[in-house]
Amino acid sequence: MIGYYLSLAIRSLRSTPILSSLMVAAIAVGVGAAMTTLTLNYMMSRNALAEKDAVLYAVQLDSWSATQGVDNPSEMPWQVTYQDAVSLLRSDIPTHQVAMHLWGGPISVEGSEIRPFVAGARVTSRDFFALFGVDFIYGGTWSEEADSSPLQQIVLSEETNEKLFGGENSVGRSLNFNGALFTVVGVTEHWQPSPKVHDLNNGSFNNSAEVFLPFGLHRQFEIYPWGNNNGWKAEEINSYEDRLNSDVVWLQYWVQLDSPEQVEDYRDFLTAHIRGQKAQGRFPRPLKFGLTNPSEWLQLNEVVDGDDRMLSWLSLAFLLVCLVNAVALLLAKFLRKAPEAGVRRALGASRNAVFSQHLVESGCVGLAGGLVGILLTLGGLGLIRQLQMGYMDRVAAMDWTMMIAAIGLAVLSSLLAGLYPAWRISRTNPSVYLKTQ
Amino acid sequence: MLELRPILSALWRHKISALLIALQLGLTLAIVSNALVVIDERTERISRPTGVAVEDINTFGYLAIPKDYDKFEAFRLDLDMIRALPGVASATISNHVPLSGSGSSSGFYTEPNMEVGATAANFYTVDEHFIEALGMNLVAGRGFSPEEIMQVGATSSERPTVAVVTQRLADEMFPQGNALGNAIFRGGDDHPIEIVGIVERNLGPWPNSPIAGRGVFYPAIMDQWFTYIVRAEPGQRDAVLKLVEEKLAERDPNRVINSDTLEEQKDQYYAGDNTMVKVLTAVVILLTFIVALGVVGLTVFWITQRQKQIGVRRALGATRTAISRYFLLENLIIATTGILLGFAAAQIFNGFLVSEFNQPALPLTVTLACALALLGVSLAAALLPALRAANISPATATRSV
Repeated sequence: MIGYYLSLAIRSLRSTPILSSLMVAAIAVGVGAAMTTLTLNYMMSRNALAEKDAVLYAVQLDSWSATQGVDNPSEMPWQVTYQDAVSLLRSDIPTHQVAMHLWGGPISVEGSEIRPFVAGARVTSRDFFALFGVDFIYGGTWSEEADSSPLQQIVLSEETNEKLFGGENSVGRSLNFNGALFTVVGVTEHWQPSPKVHDLNNGSFNNSAEVFLPFGLHRQFEIYPWGNNNGWKAEEINSYEDRLNSDVVWLQYWVQLDSPEQVEDYRDFLTAHIRGQKAQGRFPRPLKFGLTNPSEWLQLNEVVDGDDRMLSWLSLAFLLVCLVNAVALLLAKFLRKAPEAGVRRALGASRNAVFSQHLVESGCVGLAGGLVGILLTLGGLGLIRQLQMGYMDRVAAMDWTMMIAAIGLAVLSSLLAGLYPAWRISRTNPSVYLKTQ
Repeated sequence: MLELRPILSALWRHKISALLIALQLGLTLAIVSNALVVIDERTERISRPTGVAVEDINTFGYLAIPKDYDKFEAFRLDLDMIRALPGVASATISNHVPLSGSGSSSGFYTEPNMEVGATAANFYTVDEHFIEALGMNLVAGRGFSPEEIMQVGATSSERPTVAVVTQRLADEMFPQGNALGNAIFRGGDDHPIEIVGIVERNLGPWPNSPIAGRGVFYPAIMDQWFTYIVRAEPGQRDAVLKLVEEKLAERDPNRVINSDTLEEQKDQYYAGDNTMVKVLTAVVILLTFIVALGVVGLTVFWITQRQKQIGVRRALGATRTAISRYFLLENLIIATTGILLGFAAAQIFNGFLVSEFNQPALPLTVTLACALALLGVSLAAALLPALRAANISPATATRSV
């Protein structure tokens, strides 16, 4: 039966090529607009840490000023101070924990033909790879000692290893970073979460680190982070040591807590830490800390911003207009063919049969609209990539899920659009048309 | 004269189709008018005067390869060399670049030892060439003299005694207009910083932030954060970019140079706003187009359906104009209904955008202008089919009766 309806539908659509292409165009444009923004939103709200969402927590401490809180949705600083990070690292409650920040410097290999270039670096404690599930191709993370004393060890990303050593096992080789000799201890697999959930401070869709450095290097290199530094206090800072002991926040802190008991213990630990600091005159605000799972962290940080959400609403409204348009055009088309339907009814086709036949026809329009809509979506995303000047390249891209969703949306909306016209035509009185034939 | 009654009764028989077109026009009005206010706001934002010579400026930075690198010495040699190059109008060194999205801000007070109620402002450390090099306009007082420029390390506690501020900061901190010669203070500090000059405007590193336009310039060079800001003679920017980059690498190959035009950085900063403008413009155009198609489609359909009636009317003596007028009038009635619906929808939609997304309010004049434009589009779309309807021969009336 469906096969017969399909052939009827295709014949009918081909008999009115202009009207049919108008309908396909209307659905395609609507689906194209809607899918462009929906794809952006879908890609932007992906959670690279979904697998460990239940056990990972971003740590926040409200170390801010007594007179004025932090103006963000969490009402706490996004980052922690160096002195707090060092104290928290001493806890043995979490399965893994990471204190880290953004840095960078010129990198080169002695005797290599590669010109020195600036590599984006992540200065982090050694659990980074275990906590975020970053696997190694060669070697592994640095020794525990390197997180507290200055051992010049370095982990390269797959891409950096490719660039510097042609992709071979470079563990044990040495290279020059920021004017000092480092030994390669590991090479990670490609790891490029987008959005960059582990550090949302400087562009959620920027590249991840090219190299990783141990946490024990701060004093040796007097490292000033390339990320955000925020302070609230008028502090006298005369030396690097003063800066490390200041109330400026500039580190991200993550923990992995596998069991409810661990979470409970860690909460007690943080409470005790803040109480201890209060006793020393720090943390003037009411006791408050945050333990946030990656999925909530992405929302709290408003990775999908107001403009993106507004555009999705707008494009859904756009799709609605296109649908209303499709309803009007389908109605026009079906009514024009009412005599044919009349003949079919007179020859014994039931109302349901006429109804389904016309619904199948709307579905065909939707399918064609969906296919063209995918092309328009790809064009729309290309336009966005261009307008965003490279920033959105990883996000403004369509995967299979979204392609299928596009077809689904197109067929669903065209079926919705076809409901009333098909119903209307199935109610026509055959005798009217038989008379005039 | 006007066949309102027959039109209305004919429309009543096609009420669903008519309503669908009206609904389309209404929704379109709601979307288009709201999109236009957003487009307008963003365009204005992007084209706001920045206070600096965006089109002529290049910026250069470097990272030294050896660990103990005498940066201050390099600054002196680099800047002397750059200033002597052909096509270079002026050059300075600054901790941050305006419009780049990367900067520093701090709170300032008009009284010493204050902790609350700061005026937040962007701050820059610059050398004595900064007004020239940024292409800013000094409106009062003076710039810096070479002796005033301090060399400060990242943790140096040396504080400047003088500063140049932007007009906006001067007006906001000293509403009586006596900023020049007065002092500003940092939080919890009693060290006065005298305002010795006022520049007309500088939007700062984050033009979309609430502190945009408030700027404080210190006479200092910092070795931790620095960028050379080089203004080229008009039209020479791209040549200067290449030349300076080459010469910097040549003077000391022991470093990695990065360079960019200020225009590129500005475009990067506004990429989000620019995307909104372009996407919304596309939405406006496409929607209008789709609605026009809908109107054409439906008018053509109705005319085909009523071919016989048209023939009868023509046979009974109706002129071609009367036939065309009939369909245009019909379209006008539908469109007006839709636009009335759209007025309400536009306000509701705007209320949602204002409360949910902080978008600008929709002025009635914009809705009105959009409504008129849409009415025009709808009539124009109906025009061609209506004119063709007039060509239907009276003979059709007799054919199949």
